[in-house]
Amino acid sequence: MGAYAKNVRDTAKSFWEGMSITLSYMFRKPITTQYPDRVGVPVRDTIPARYRGFLEVDMDICTACLACERACPIAVINIDVVKGDGKTRPKLNMERFDIDIGKCMYCGLCVEPCPTGAIQHTREFEGAVMHFDNLTLRFVPDPTNPIPAYKVPKGSDAFPRRPLGEITRKLIKAWDAPPPPFPSMEEAAKAKEHGAPKEGGLDPSAMGRQLAAKALSVKEDKPKLQKVLEEAMAGTDCGDCGYPDCFGYSNAIAQGKDTATDKCAPGGADSKAMLETILVTLKTGAVPAPATPAASGCRSA
Amino acid sequence: MQDFIDNLIRSWGHDPAAWPWTQFLYLAFMGAAAFIVVNFAAISAGIFSWAERRVAARMQSRVGPNRVGPFGFLQWVADAVKLLLKEDLVPAEADAVLFRAAPYFMMVGFACVFVCLPFSHKLIVADLNIGIFYILAVTALIVVGIIMSGWSSNSKWSLFGAIRSAAQIISYEIPAGMALMIPVLLAGTLSTQGIIRAQGGWPWQWFIFDNPAAFAAFFIYFISALAEGNRTPFDLPEAESELVSGYNTEYSGMRFSYFFLVEWGNMWVMSAIATTMFLGGWQLPGLSPARFDALTGGVAVIAEIASLALFAFKTLFFVFVVMWLRWTLPRIRVDQMMNMCWKYLVPASFAGALFVAAWMLLVHEAPWLGQAMRFALTAIAAVTVAAFALRTLKNLRDTGDKFDFTSNW
Repeated sequence: MGAYAKNVRDTAKSFWEGMSITLSYMFRKPITTQYPDRVGVPVRDTIPARYRGFLEVDMDICTACLACERACPIAVINIDVVKGDGKTRPKLNMERFDIDIGKCMYCGLCVEPCPTGAIQHTREFEGAVMHFDNLTLRFVPDPTNPIPAYKVPKGSDAFPRRPLGEITRKLIKAWDAPPPPFPSMEEAAKAKEHGAPKEGGLDPSAMGRQLAAKALSVKEDKPKLQKVLEEAMAGTDCGDCGYPDCFGYSNAIAQGKDTATDKCAPGGADSKAMLETILVTLKTGAVPAPATPAASGCRSA
Repeated sequence: MQDFIDNLIRSWGHDPAAWPWTQFLYLAFMGAAAFIVVNFAAISAGIFSWAERRVAARMQSRVGPNRVGPFGFLQWVADAVKLLLKEDLVPAEADAVLFRAAPYFMMVGFACVFVCLPFSHKLIVADLNIGIFYILAVTALIVVGIIMSGWSSNSKWSLFGAIRSAAQIISYEIPAGMALMIPVLLAGTLSTQGIIRAQGGWPWQWFIFDNPAAFAAFFIYFISALAEGNRTPFDLPEAESELVSGYNTEYSGMRFSYFFLVEWGNMWVMSAIATTMFLGGWQLPGLSPARFDALTGGVAVIAEIASLALFAFKTLFFVFVVMWLRWTLPRIRVDQMMNMCWKYLVPASFAGALFVAAWMLLVHEAPWLGQAMRFALTAIAAVTVAAFALRTLKNLRDTGDKFDFTSNW
């Protein structure tokens, strides 16, 4: 009977307590803070500094070495490089630097090989948009106005980077922004010329023969030969060839220690063709005749 | 209502008995009344769905739906529109006819209750002389709908839910009915308006404080009504964790919304019955029903609106209590639920009815005893409410929080 009475008392007491506690919570301020419009500071400013959000490229210090493009396992980064002759146009220009954030898996593999720290993860993460195409971040805003590659000053190990997030934040469009225009028929017809060598651009086969003639004249002078060979390379000092910089690679070829011509990744097919022309010329002693325009190779893919 | 129309016809200069259009006017007014009542039921159920979510959210330190309209008030409209536009799916192996019909049985059983529910001094669709008996009878139609939906769904979860619900509702109808017989005994009438008129405006004139048995009967009725409405802690038929929502598992779209309309609308019904039977209904303090009837002109209109507001306030308070209970108490087991009904509530309600009969004889002999008991019970209730409020305030202060009802809506 005592236990029975105790049970009854416990029941009444737990009702009394439970009801008063839930009622007291009714009159408190809810703890929940609603995202995104009722937070005090932007959420990106509250997350850790090393959070891997949207990628950002500071084009001012990008050497166009293409290391990030090659590192990307799923081809999220697309860079188009055009070469200039170094006089009327800078030697390396970027016509396109696109990062498809909709495809990116935020692995961070592109950040690691970057020689200058131009490509970085920001803390931006809000990518809810109506049109998926708007998620492609175009770091070269106008392809007709290419951005010259950054030439690394010798011996520098710190680079003037703009504050992280500033560039990407400007590139992210509003959620309801219209999609980028689809090319019209006229524009598509014009685009057929895409890929053809541009005026003022570089003709790799002509330049290869030019360099080969120069190389032939300085055949015995190893340091001068190295200079000529380095000119055939991209000159980004990316280190992808296995040598610390372009000097290392060209010097090795000049010394005869290395015969591979395909190690200059940023230079791509152009560099390979030019280096081959030079090496063939050095071996045969005669500059090869100009090939038909169709065989002259195209710009870096 | 009939008197009102007859008076209207007389004011036009016709004799209601001889005028040929009398019957048509009756029919038109009946249709209008039915339309208003069914819409009141549906809209109040919708608003309760929003209110319950907001109350639940605040009790759990959340914010709740606050995006559609001011304070998210139009959330229920958005939900209703969404549910109406959804596909009305009938499972392949289901009994399609019964499956389709079941929600209408629920709706009919629910909407018919409103015929006898008073809203104010004059506002009632039909003041039947068997009012409360009628309400108890038509409520049983809901069981038919639940069993039909559970059986025709051809799903074991639905059937479990339906059988649990049927067992529960049929069991709890006995204590609920017996508890409601106590105000009937005290008032000497089954008419809902008659029962309200037998009470008074002041709390000590309410039937709940008439005697200890009536006081207990109120709680017996309230517990039974929770069980009949499948509300927590008696929401076994809809136990989400065990039955995947119970008898309405297989329903979608509009038919699903009918079940929920009935569930939320039932909160008004059970609270309005409690208000009517035990808490003095629309009675204004200091205004006896006879004097209320005698009022004319603008004063009558103001008194009418005040009585409507008072009735709505009392009812909505109990609607809030039902929500509050839901977010406080855990669900009980089936055996506990049945134990509680048959071992405690049924005997207690019968004993209470006998006690009230004896008490009425006693009070007839010694009226001062009845008055003393009324005041004593009212005082006890007032002290309990005050102690509870203080306890709530203490709980609030103990955690270092402060009273803040207005921010973060």
